[in-house]
Amino acid sequence: MIDPFNIIITGVGGQGNVLAARMLGNTLAKAGYYVTIGETFGASQRGGSVMSHLRISKESAWSPQIPKGKAHLIIALEPVESLRVLAAYGNRDVKIVSNTRPIYPVGVICGDLAYPSLPDLNSAVAQLCDDARFINATEEAVALGHPILSNVIMVGAAAGLGLLPIDDEAFKSVISENVPESKIEINMKAYRKGKEMVGDPVKF
Amino acid sequence: MQVKGSKEIRAGVLDSGLCTGCGACVSLCPYYATHKGKTVMHFSCTREEGRCHAHCPRAEVNLDRISSQFFGEEYSASPFGSYINIHSARAGDKAGVSGFQTAGTVSALIKFALEKGYIDSAVLTKNEEGFGVPFVIDNPGDVEKASGSRYSVSPTVKGVNDAINSGRRKIGAVGTPCQTLAVAQLRGNPLKQEGFTDPIALSIGLFCTWALTASDFTALMKSMGDISTIRKLDIPPPPASSMEIETGNKSYIIPLDDIRKLIPEACSYCHDMTAEFADISVGVYEGKTKQNIAIIRTERGRKIFEEAVNAGYLETEKIPEEAIAPLAAASMNKKKKGLGKLAGANLINSETGHTVIRMKKSTLESILKGGASCC
Amino acid sequence: MLLSKSEGKEFLLMGNQAIARGALEAGVSVAAGYPGTPSSEIIENLASVAPEADLYVEWSVNEKVSLEVAAAGSFAGLRSLCVMKQNGVNVASDFLLHLVLSGTRGGMVLIPCDDPGAISSVNEGESRYFARLMEIPLLEPGDFQEAKDMTKWAFSLSEELGNVVMLRSVTRLSHASGNVKLGALNRTKPAAKFNFSGNLLDAKTGPVITAPVPFRHTQQQGKLKKAAALFETSPFNRYEGPENPELLIITSSACYLYSREALRVLDTEKRAGILKLGTTWPLPPELLKKHLAAAEKVLIVEEVLPFLEENIKILAMENIDSIGKIKFFGKNDGTLPSVNEMNPDYVIKAISSILNIPYTGMPEEYEKSGQILSFTKSPNRELTFCPGCPHRASYWSINRALTLNGENGFVCGDIGCYTMAILPAGFGTIKTAHSMGSGTGVASGFGKLKSFGMNQPVVSVCGDSTFFHAGMPALVNAVHNNSDMLLVILDNSGTAMTGFQPHPGIPSGAAGNELPSVDIEGICRSIGAKTFTADPFNVAETEKKVLEIIENERGPRVLIMRQGCALSPEKKGKKKYNVSVDSNICKGSDCGCNRLCTRVFRCPGLVCDSATGKAMIDEIICAGCGVCADICPSGAIKRSEVAL
Repeated sequence: MIDPFNIIITGVGGQGNVLAARMLGNTLAKAGYYVTIGETFGASQRGGSVMSHLRISKESAWSPQIPKGKAHLIIALEPVESLRVLAAYGNRDVKIVSNTRPIYPVGVICGDLAYPSLPDLNSAVAQLCDDARFINATEEAVALGHPILSNVIMVGAAAGLGLLPIDDEAFKSVISENVPESKIEINMKAYRKGKEMVGDPVKF
Repeated sequence: MQVKGSKEIRAGVLDSGLCTGCGACVSLCPYYATHKGKTVMHFSCTREEGRCHAHCPRAEVNLDRISSQFFGEEYSASPFGSYINIHSARAGDKAGVSGFQTAGTVSALIKFALEKGYIDSAVLTKNEEGFGVPFVIDNPGDVEKASGSRYSVSPTVKGVNDAINSGRRKIGAVGTPCQTLAVAQLRGNPLKQEGFTDPIALSIGLFCTWALTASDFTALMKSMGDISTIRKLDIPPPPASSMEIETGNKSYIIPLDDIRKLIPEACSYCHDMTAEFADISVGVYEGKTKQNIAIIRTERGRKIFEEAVNAGYLETEKIPEEAIAPLAAASMNKKKKGLGKLAGANLINSETGHTVIRMKKSTLESILKGGASCC
Repeated sequence: MLLSKSEGKEFLLMGNQAIARGALEAGVSVAAGYPGTPSSEIIENLASVAPEADLYVEWSVNEKVSLEVAAAGSFAGLRSLCVMKQNGVNVASDFLLHLVLSGTRGGMVLIPCDDPGAISSVNEGESRYFARLMEIPLLEPGDFQEAKDMTKWAFSLSEELGNVVMLRSVTRLSHASGNVKLGALNRTKPAAKFNFSGNLLDAKTGPVITAPVPFRHTQQQGKLKKAAALFETSPFNRYEGPENPELLIITSSACYLYSREALRVLDTEKRAGILKLGTTWPLPPELLKKHLAAAEKVLIVEEVLPFLEENIKILAMENIDSIGKIKFFGKNDGTLPSVNEMNPDYVIKAISSILNIPYTGMPEEYEKSGQILSFTKSPNRELTFCPGCPHRASYWSINRALTLNGENGFVCGDIGCYTMAILPAGFGTIKTAHSMGSGTGVASGFGKLKSFGMNQPVVSVCGDSTFFHAGMPALVNAVHNNSDMLLVILDNSGTAMTGFQPHPGIPSGAAGNELPSVDIEGICRSIGAKTFTADPFNVAETEKKVLEIIENERGPRVLIMRQGCALSPEKKGKKKYNVSVDSNICKGSDCGCNRLCTRVFRCPGLVCDSATGKAMIDEIICAGCGVCADICPSGAIKRSEVAL
C-alpha cells in the first residue's frame, strides 16, 4: 500500500458519507493503521456537497486534508461529485469507484442547470483518470431492501479494488459494532455485492 | 411591433415613473400585483416576451397600427382622434340610473348593453376604502355599484383580465384613456395566442385630464375624516379652481394647486385626453353638469348608442361647434405636451432603449408644431 | 466508547468525541454550552451519557450564561466545562473578563471551537486573542490524541493555577477523526459546596469577587507567570527535527499536521524542524529562546491571524542578544495568507519557496482541464432550505408583502438556517446579516431614522433559539425607544441549524429530560410589543397579515410565524399532504407563469420537466407541506390530506 494512502469519499448530504468514512476508517484502524478522517459537512442538510478525506498510514497520523492532486482513491456516492473532486485532488493514476445514481442539485431540479448524461460524465472522468468504475449501487441497495445500503456497497467496491489492506472479518466486526445484530448479514451481503460489482482488482 | 418582457417593463416603465397603474399587466401572471393604486412586481420573470409588455400602454405602443386596426386609418394629428360623430348626452328616463354627480351616460350605456345582450359582463370601478378597484358585473342591476368620479389612479384593466380569465368573452370595459389604450392593445392578440377571440364587445373610454396618486389622495381624504361618509367629491368647472368634498357633517374646499401636487409623474407623459381607442368616449360637458359629451368612434359604438337613444336609455342633443372648441383645444394641448415630453425623453420611435410610442414622424411633428393653447 | 473502561484501547474518534472523553477522564461534573458548529458534538456527547456518568449537562440560553453556569460548578468545587463556537466567546467575554479576575476553584475549562475558512460560519473569528486579552492560559491540541489528553490535563492545570483555562479546537480537529488511545475514566461523584465565609482575599474560602481589582489582577498575572513556567516542560510542546535546522517551523493545532506533512512531502525533514506548541499563551520563553537561537529562518504556521507570530516576534526582539537575528516568515510578510483555513498545500508552497525546493501538486494542464470539466459538467450545488421548510414559505410572504407595500422595506437578519434568505433560497429577502440577534438590534436602530427622512418599512427576522439568545434585549430596546419596526420570529421549535438542540422554549433539556418551557409570545407581550401570530404555511393569510402590520400598525411589533422544522422528530418522514401536479393545467414556462414554482419558489420537491417546462412532484423528496399548491397561480398543483 502507498503510505499514506489517500481516499476521498464524496457525496451529498444524507447519503451516509460520514458513516461510510467511519466504517472504512474503523476497519483500517482495527488492522493497526493510523487513520485520519477530515470531514466537510457544514452544509450537508441543505443540499451541499459532503466530502471526507481519509489518510491511511502505518507510520503516523496525517493531516485531515489531502494535498491538491494527491488522492489515490475516490469513492463517489454521487456521480458528478467524482468530477468535482478530481478537479481538486485528482491525477491520472487515481482510482475511482462511483455510484451511477444522480442526486440532482436544486439548480437542476429547478431547470436552471443541466446535469450531464452518464456517458457524458464517463468521458469527462476518463479525460482525467485512467481507471474509473461506475456501478449502480443504489439500484442494488434497493434490491437488497434499502437505498441506504448503497454506501456499504460502495465500501465493498472500494475493498474489491484490492488497493487497501481491508480484511472482511475486520469489516464485519466494525459493522457488528454499529448495527443491530439482525442487520449484520444484510450489510455484509451489501459489502460482498460491492466487491463483486467492482470487477477485477486493480493490477499493478 | 416589438414585444419584450418584464425586464423591460420593470426598467422602462415601473422604475422610470411611466407606469399609469392601469392594471394591464396584473392578473396575467403571478409576477405583477396592484396595491393601493400602485403596480408592483414580485420576484422576476425571465421571459423575453410577455403579454405584460404587449399590453402596456407605456411600452412600444404603435399608434398607427392600432388606429388602422380599429378605424382603418393611420393615427392623425386631430384633437379627438378618429370618430364618427359627437353628441351631448345624458341618461334617459328608461335607464333608471341615479348617478349623484354625473349625467349618467356611461351607466346608462352599460346597463342598456347588458340588458340587450351586446355584452354579457362589464368591468367597472368602485371605491374600496378610498381606493379604486375594478369589479366585474353580469347583471344590469349592479351597474350602480360603480361610484362616480374618483380622480385617483385605479387598476381597471386588471378587472378586464379577471373577466377574461373567468371565461367571459363579451365584455364591456369602461376605463380612462390609458386603460382604454391597454384594452385596445390586448384586443389585437399581440402574442399570437392560439384560439384567441376578441373578448371586448364594447369599450367605453372616459375623458381624463389627469389622475391622482391613489395612496396620497386617500391619505388626504382620510385626514378629513371618515372616508366612508363622503357624500360629494367634485371639481366644479372653471373659473372655480378647487375640489369640493362633503363628508358626514363637514365640507371642504381644497385649492386645485394642492391637488395637482398629487398627480403622478406618469400622467405628465399622457397624450390622450379623450380615450381615442374606445368605441365610445364619454366625458364632462364643461358648464353643463347634467350633460356629457359623447364621442362615437366605431360602427358598433354608434349602433349601441343610437339604439340606447331610441330605447329611451339616453337622451341626446346636437352639440354646437363652439361648445366643442374648448375640449378640442384642451385635448390638442395635452397631446402636444405629453408627446413633447416623451419626445424630449427620447421615448418616441427610439431605436435604442425603451420606447413608449411609435408613430409616423410627420404626424408627430405636425402635433408638436401645432399652435399651443393655454393650459 | 465514551464510557468505555478499556484503558489503553485505541479507537478512531472524532475530535469532539475525544474532547468529551478527555473531560470524562478528568471527572467533569458540569458541562454547559450553546450550540454552534463545529462545537456542538462535545455537549451532545456528554449529554448522551449524562445520567449514567452523573453529569449535569445543559444547553444554556447563550454562551455568556453557559459560562456562568459552568463557573458556578467550579465555584462549588466541581470540575466544569463550557463549550462554544468562536463567536460565542465574544458573547461570553464580559463575564469572562470578570471570571479571570475572581479566579476559579474546581477545574474549569473553556473550549471554543474556531472555524477557520468559515466552513459553517458567517465569520472566521479567532478566539485565541481572548486568551491574551483576558490573561489566561491557552492550549491548542495538535492531534486527536492530544485533544483528549490536553482536555484532561486542562482541568488539573486550571486547579493548579486557580483560573479558567482555554482549550481551543478548530473545525479540522473537531470535525475530523483519528486514532485515540483511551485513558482511565474518573467516575467519582464529588459533593458540591460553595464556600464564601473565609477571608475576603482568600481564593479558596472567601467570596468569589473581582475586588479589590489591583490585588486580584496582580494575583491573576502571577498565575499566568506560573503557567509559563509549567509550560516550559510540557510534553505537549515538542521539537522534531535536526539540531540546527535551516528552517524552524513553529506551529500549533491542526497546522502542526499540515506542517509535518509538508516536510515529508518535500522530503526535507533533515533540513527543517518543527517546534510544535500545545501551550500557546503564555509562551514558554526558555523553550522558545532555545529553539530560536538554533535557527536563522523561522516560519510560523497558524490559523487564522498571526497570533503566535506576533507573540514570538516580541519575545525574539526582547531577547535579541541571546537569540540573534532571525528572518521570520509567516502571515505578516505574506508567505502565508491571513484569511481562510490552512492546508498542506499552503505550507508546502511556503517551505518550497523558502528553501527553494521544486514541487508540483498538480500539473498545470491537468488542473486546467479539470477545472473546465468540473465547471461544465458538475452543476453547482447551491444551498437551499429543506423540502417542507417553513422558512421558504415565511420569506415568500414577507417578500411579497414588502413588494406590495412598495416603500422599499427590507429585512435585517441574523444567524440560523434562515440566514440563507440572503440567497435565492429565501428570494434574497435579507439585506443585513450579522451576529446572533443583531437583525433586531439593527432594525431597532433603523426604526428611529424617520426624523432623517427614512420612511422604508423595517423588518427583522430572528429564530426562536436566537430570540432567547440575543433577540430579547434588542426587542426590549425597540419597545423602550418606541422604534418603528416589525420583528418576525421564525419559530420552528428548535435550534435547527446545528442539529435540533433544545432551547428555553422547548420542554426538554440536553439529555432529553423534561423541563419547563418559556413562552415566546408571552415574553413579547409582556415586553410591551404589539404581538401577532401566523402560520407561515398559510401563505395568503400570512402575506396579508404582514402587509397589514407593516401598513396599519406603528411602533415596535412582533409577528410570530410558528411552524415546526421539517427535520424535527415530530415531522420528519411524515407527510401532511399528498401533492401532485395536473400537467394539463400547469402552464410551465408559458407567459402567465414562467415556472413560478420550480424557478422562483425552488423547493427541491418540485422538479421541472426539462422537455415541457412543466412541474412535477418528486414523491421521495417532497415533505408534503402542501404550500406549493397555494402559490401555483393556475391551480395546477393539487394536494390531498394524507389519511392517518
